[in-house]
Amino acid sequence: MNVTPVPIAKHVPLRRWFVARKMSARSLVFGLTLITVSYLVLVPLLMLLYASVKSTEDKLPFESTVTTLSNYTAVFTSSSTLPIFLNTLFFTAGSLFIGLPLAILLAWLLERTAIPARAWIANLILVPMTIPSLLSAIAWIQLLDPRIGLVNIVLRSALGMTGDTGPFDIYSLYGMCFVQGLRLVPSAYLMIAASFRAMDPSLEEQSAMAGRGVAQTTLRVTLPIMRPALLAALIYFIVVVIESFDIPGLLGFTARIRVLSTAIYWATHSEVGLPDYGLASALGTIVLAAALLLMWNYQRLTAHQERFATITGKGYRPRQLKLGVWSVPAMVLCVSYVLIVVLLPFVMLLWTSVQPFYAPPSAESLGRMSFDSYYKIWHESSVVRALWNTMVLALVTSIATILLAVLVSWFVVRRRRQTDGFAHYLATVSFLPQCVPSIVIGLACIFVYVRFPVPIYGTLWIIALAMTTRYLAFSSRTTTSALMQVHGELEEASQMAGAPWTRTLRRVTIPLLAPAIINVFLWVAVHAMQELSMALMLYNPDTVVVSTMIWSMWQNGRTADAAVLGVVLTGLSALLLLGGHVLSSRRHSNS
Amino acid sequence: MIGVKDLVKTFPGTRGEVRALRGVSFEVGKGELFTLLGPSGCGKTTTLRCIAGLEQPLSGDIWINDRVVFNAADGVFIPPEQRRIGMVFQSYAIWPHMTVYQNVAYPLTSDISRKEIGERVAGILERLGLGPLGDRLAPNLSGGQQQRVALARALVAQPQVLLLDEPLSNLDAKLREQMRFELKALQESFKITTVYVTHDQEEALALSDRIGLMHEGTLLEVGAPAELYLRPAHKITADFLGNANFIPARVEVHEKQLGAEILVATPLGNFVAQRGAEWQVGVPSQLFFRPEYVDLLDDADGAVNGLNRGCGVVERVSFLGNSTDVIIRCGEIALHARAHPACLPAVGKRVCFHVAPSSCIVFAA
Repeated sequence: MNVTPVPIAKHVPLRRWFVARKMSARSLVFGLTLITVSYLVLVPLLMLLYASVKSTEDKLPFESTVTTLSNYTAVFTSSSTLPIFLNTLFFTAGSLFIGLPLAILLAWLLERTAIPARAWIANLILVPMTIPSLLSAIAWIQLLDPRIGLVNIVLRSALGMTGDTGPFDIYSLYGMCFVQGLRLVPSAYLMIAASFRAMDPSLEEQSAMAGRGVAQTTLRVTLPIMRPALLAALIYFIVVVIESFDIPGLLGFTARIRVLSTAIYWATHSEVGLPDYGLASALGTIVLAAALLLMWNYQRLTAHQERFATITGKGYRPRQLKLGVWSVPAMVLCVSYVLIVVLLPFVMLLWTSVQPFYAPPSAESLGRMSFDSYYKIWHESSVVRALWNTMVLALVTSIATILLAVLVSWFVVRRRRQTDGFAHYLATVSFLPQCVPSIVIGLACIFVYVRFPVPIYGTLWIIALAMTTRYLAFSSRTTTSALMQVHGELEEASQMAGAPWTRTLRRVTIPLLAPAIINVFLWVAVHAMQELSMALMLYNPDTVVVSTMIWSMWQNGRTADAAVLGVVLTGLSALLLLGGHVLSSRRHSNS
Repeated sequence: MIGVKDLVKTFPGTRGEVRALRGVSFEVGKGELFTLLGPSGCGKTTTLRCIAGLEQPLSGDIWINDRVVFNAADGVFIPPEQRRIGMVFQSYAIWPHMTVYQNVAYPLTSDISRKEIGERVAGILERLGLGPLGDRLAPNLSGGQQQRVALARALVAQPQVLLLDEPLSNLDAKLREQMRFELKALQESFKITTVYVTHDQEEALALSDRIGLMHEGTLLEVGAPAELYLRPAHKITADFLGNANFIPARVEVHEKQLGAEILVATPLGNFVAQRGAEWQVGVPSQLFFRPEYVDLLDDADGAVNGLNRGCGVVERVSFLGNSTDVIIRCGEIALHARAHPACLPAVGKRVCFHVAPSSCIVFAA
């Protein structure tokens, strides 16, 4: 009991305080929340650090007694690891170079200009978010495979090229950058459009009143004001790319190009020889340090951004720029983006799923079209198991995450004024997983649970545990900002009406947070269904999930089956998101 | 009924602790409406929240209805949900996800039958003129209706104490005046002991049985509205309640005049005035009187001589409808006078005035 902090001035005897029964329920929950969050986040990270300084010749890290820095020296001196760093650098820079400018341009066009069909384009841009990135990599392979990629075939015959490869090769760093860069666009667009929207339009109008034209206003007012937001987005997406596993994993597998995240995976899942946990944990620690440093800067920037007072409560619609003759190229850009980046990969995926073996669309292959795979695939017991496991995993993870997130945010927000520092600690630790790449969490969970007294290793629960840790950061952030919008007096009124803490939470706080809770629940569920890297690190044949199934089917050349499962997974995700959308719009029209 | 003794409350600030309350003590009698009045940041809301139990004081005692709800020395702290107090918040805190009925019934659901709950909620809604609105959701209510719902919710469990935190500050001027009288009538008919917090002096004067004036974490002065307004004991009270003229003054021959009235010399002339509680022999003084007690004299020349008189030049006149504000320039001093609306002296004209000795008070400067 003495670990639970007591929210009362020091000179008042503790015992008397606890006599007030209702308060002790709250302290108990607070203590449990603190312990759970600390355990989930800190223990795996400490294990990772520990493992990285243990010599692991043929051993698991904690079986080793030798403490050494050899893992690190090996990483920095070995000729086999140097390319990993260079590849990661190139991959990160290249992806951002493709993704961010496109997202900024789209956000500017849709937020600041009078482009036609604005709402349609804005919604279509977001559609790729429902497709797991593993699947978009597969779809782009169908299009850009040097030999059988549709685009390459069309280009070869159009340009009269001889030979049966090229001109594009997706199995290269450029290909990885291209697919990953496009993959960033929807979420980068969301983030940047939000800061365009948050900007007080009168700042721009003032510049117009002072006689400046569009170009001058954009250069001298809009962009400088947006700079912290853009810089923050840049840092945020650097971390996203460093963390990303699916695309470099799939494309780099064929091309033998490894980046940090995939190198960690292959170090522990070597095709030849034993897993090298020492190398993996040293690489993991390095990625972690880089991500921490970046996220720390991101935090600083976004805290600064709030002080920049871009947000006002005024609901003015910003002035929208008339594009004039420019509306034609702007529309061409948007429409071709939607067609090429949004629709084409999805159509390719559907096409692949109805072909017995992969063949580019032609009169001949059209004849072979059949939905057989959609039926046959369910005869495989492992596919059924994978689907079932995925559902269970999504449900368990989202329930656990939202529960923890609501509690964390309640204590963070409502205990802010207390000086014991626990609220700050809770906020920091629960956000920490945002800086921990999924593959690293997966690796660390192996270390923690492989010899754990409770036989949790090799069950679905360990995957759920890893995912809960990872998604706690986003979830608690979201519920925290939602709870900040709930005036404290609404809860105090319930207290004054005689309701104890638990009743206040149940009847007032949670109903008021319902929209945020539903959103977070669905977000976590969709992410848990699509997640690959943590599942890949922690699954076994019994706990196979859809994403790992697609991964191994692809590795084994079962393209059609992989595509079928991909379509099913995408459909499920879309269904969940659509359901959430309907639910939240119904709530809106009700009140 | 309610007692507060030596209440001290600190908040963590950016540079060490901020003392929000520095030893506040007062008692409120049964059925009394007691107002804590003061500018923002004076500690009035903190005091109210300490009584409610929403804040934990550092030291002091609080008792409600002979029950000790807080005693720092013995470590007694009754949590707010067990204090059985009705409270109306500044934001009203109407739960937007519940109907009016659900909001008002909320404090009742513990041990009362469903039927009785229905009757009591209907009763209080009727009493507050909310009868037909029971099924409405809170966001679909006007400001005045939300205010009534908050009141109904605070009163439905028949608490013996009602706390009101700036309940009228979110209403527009006209409605505020109307609600002021309704609130008073309601409080009297329920005979409920009430602590009312406001920064609006007019509201405080109109509603209260007694007013406690707070200043920088201390309770400066307690008294009936007329008492505080007419005979403030402190300069801060005089300044905060209503408008005030302060004129530098020097006490003449104080030895002989230690009675209630003393003679002071000011740049305007000599004045006979009441002695304020703060005034002490030998301290630089200020003469205080309110603009509405400045009588403008018709006879501009004959009045120069004599006590409690002065002359100056009209600097500015603003017509306010129910009165006229006149600024009279007397050398360094700009004097504020409030005259009958029909009185509109020309700017630049020389005027003389008189202030009755009973309306003048001398404070320490």
